Amino acid sequence: MAMVVDYKHDSSFPYWTSIRRRFDPDSPFFSSGNLERELLAKQVALDLTEDERNQLEKMIDNDARGVFCPIVGCGARLTSLEDFEDHYIARHTASCSVCSRVYPTSRLLSIHVSEAHDSFFQAKVARGYAMYECLVEGCDLKFKNYKGRQQHLVDKHKFPTSFEFFNKAHPSKKKRLKNQQKRRTHKKDEEASSKMEVENEIIDGLVSAVSKLSTSDSSPSNISFGRRNARGLTFVPRSIQAPREKK
Amino acid sequence: MADDSPASHRRDPIKSSVGNVAAQRRRQNAVTVGKERRESLVRAKRLCRVGATGDGDVPVEENDMITDEEVSLLDAQTSSAVGELKSAVAYQGKGAMQKRVNALRELRRLLSKSEFPPVEAALKAGAIPLLVQCLSFGSPDEQLLEAAWCLTNIAAGKPEETKALLPALPLLIAHLGEKSSLPVAEQCAWALGNVSGEGEELRNVLLSQGALPPLARMMLPNKGSTVRTAAWALSNLIKGPDPKAATELIKVDGVLDAILRHLRKADEELATEVAWVVVYLSALSNFATGVLVKSDVLQLLVERLATSNSLQLLIPVLRSLGNLVAGDSHTTSTVLVPGHEITDGVIKVLVKCLKSDHRVLKKEASWVLSNIAAGSIEHKQLIYSSEAVPLLLRLLSTAPFDIRREVAYVLGNLCVAPTAGEGKPNLIEEHLVSLVQRGCLSGFIDLVRSADIEAARLGLQFTELVLRGMPNGDGPKLVEQEDGIDAMERYQFHENEDLRNMANGLVDKYFGEDYGVDE
Repeated sequence: MAMVVDYKHDSSFPYWTSIRRRFDPDSPFFSSGNLERELLAKQVALDLTEDERNQLEKMIDNDARGVFCPIVGCGARLTSLEDFEDHYIARHTASCSVCSRVYPTSRLLSIHVSEAHDSFFQAKVARGYAMYECLVEGCDLKFKNYKGRQQHLVDKHKFPTSFEFFNKAHPSKKKRLKNQQKRRTHKKDEEASSKMEVENEIIDGLVSAVSKLSTSDSSPSNISFGRRNARGLTFVPRSIQAPREKK
Repeated sequence: MADDSPASHRRDPIKSSVGNVAAQRRRQNAVTVGKERRESLVRAKRLCRVGATGDGDVPVEENDMITDEEVSLLDAQTSSAVGELKSAVAYQGKGAMQKRVNALRELRRLLSKSEFPPVEAALKAGAIPLLVQCLSFGSPDEQLLEAAWCLTNIAAGKPEETKALLPALPLLIAHLGEKSSLPVAEQCAWALGNVSGEGEELRNVLLSQGALPPLARMMLPNKGSTVRTAAWALSNLIKGPDPKAATELIKVDGVLDAILRHLRKADEELATEVAWVVVYLSALSNFATGVLVKSDVLQLLVERLATSNSLQLLIPVLRSLGNLVAGDSHTTSTVLVPGHEITDGVIKVLVKCLKSDHRVLKKEASWVLSNIAAGSIEHKQLIYSSEAVPLLLRLLSTAPFDIRREVAYVLGNLCVAPTAGEGKPNLIEEHLVSLVQRGCLSGFIDLVRSADIEAARLGLQFTELVLRGMPNGDGPKLVEQEDGIDAMERYQFHENEDLRNMANGLVDKYFGEDYGVDE
């Protein structure tokens, strides 16, 4: 079954290989054991409480690691790796209520909402206004189309060419389960609800077509956006397409 | 720090002094002293409070909360003690020797009193040249001992202070010789151990001045505190990063035999120091590793791991084992062959370490297991069917991050066949399916969510194994159930391009448009 695969990703995946790992004696890998050695050796002067000992270990660990948040543009200093999850949930999970995509900042979320779900935005684009903002805060440049902005990000801000702001849509888990359920109940009651099914499909199809519509632009189809299988610029709502083959 | 309840503090409560000011100052000092204290605790140097002869006439004070006044008093006393020493050294008349010894003793006492000896004051007053003079050949043992003791504690301080010992080094080395009395040799070894612990530069100086052979010889006798001190000093001397010293040490006549003898028979204190020597030998020198692997050392390390409960001993012994496994493929391919008794013994003691309460033991034992699991299929089967796996699975979900990352290496290595040429390594489906069924996937997805690049990479690599290798195409469903898609989608805005590509690639390939359609 032919899936459009991004060959670059597939061929260069660094698969798990089982190899021996060796460390130098001064590697940070050994630092907690080394610390233990020195603490235990200095028994005479030693009167560390449990607390002090933990603080000491943390001090060694964190100096070695110095964890910073790896989300682009954040750079927040985290006191420990354990803190990262809390930080991520607090700061980087702005999600779109329409399509459930998640963005790491509220600014990016609002840019997404305008570009993906706002027909007013699309209307202005159609009339030739420069509506696509540069994603880098403080840059303030605007472009007439998605591709132009994309190029600017690559050229001016050294974004990787593989970066896609509006990327493949992966419906959230809830939505996926919902879709699966829908399909299952439809199968059960095929005849009776075949009409309903078609209707639902039409609605689904229209919804997806509209969402595709709002993000389409004059760029050629080799720029990926929306669903990966979208070929060409014209759309056929799903219900009218030929039924898909089973795998 | 000052006001903890008795239950959490074994220290005596601070005696309240007149007025708040003094108490406040003590607290402030506590903070600065606390910082310095932390650093001194971690330095590889050791203060000599009770001398080599067991001369414990100095009341060892554990109260390190010295006030400003006390510090300046100590400094003043030290300066004057050095002054006394100066005149004693210059004096040529009757009773000169006793005078010198008394002056040295006084200085030594001042330098042994507290956690932070008045080294700076001593140096400023010009102690070093005087001490060097006191080390001259033919001096009485008492004098040599006291002088070496002073130098030991001066060398236990800050880097510049340790470096100040440079003029004394050749003499200290000379007094390691077999003609010296044992206490004198030991005290000199201690001083040299502190100097070696300072850094590479000083280690190189000592090596070029020929410190290694006499120290090595001091390690040959069966017992005694001298042997222990020499072993400790050697471990500091050979710790590199240049492997030359380690290679040189293993070549010294009698050293290998002594190492084996001590690992087999010595008390835990001596065995600990010798084990650290083995740690550095095996971590730095391929030559030494080769020699060691061909000897009985692995068996001896296993026995120590099996019988001891001393964390101090277990750490270097475990690490030596780890280094020998990691450093030479010969170890797993020829010695630790599945089916041999020693191999079962190794797995058993590693399991013991996994069960321990100590973080270091769990982490490093997992590391060793991961390297054994990187061996042949038979090695993987051996570990897979051992007691280790249930423990590892539990650690993967409950242990601190450090340990979880090492555990991940073990489990992943169990699922992948030995690397054979280009292309994807083959999966060991039986192991993969079983481990996933026993719930390891969520632990790996947690690693995907981590901020640590290496851990995230491991998580993604294992996720790929699951996606590719679970039979009946179950992989994607299982990954989704553990919120794996969510975890991978976080990488869209991640700084690290490799991780981004890995995550995006997996999501594109396995959770594309058609995912879930055929339900």
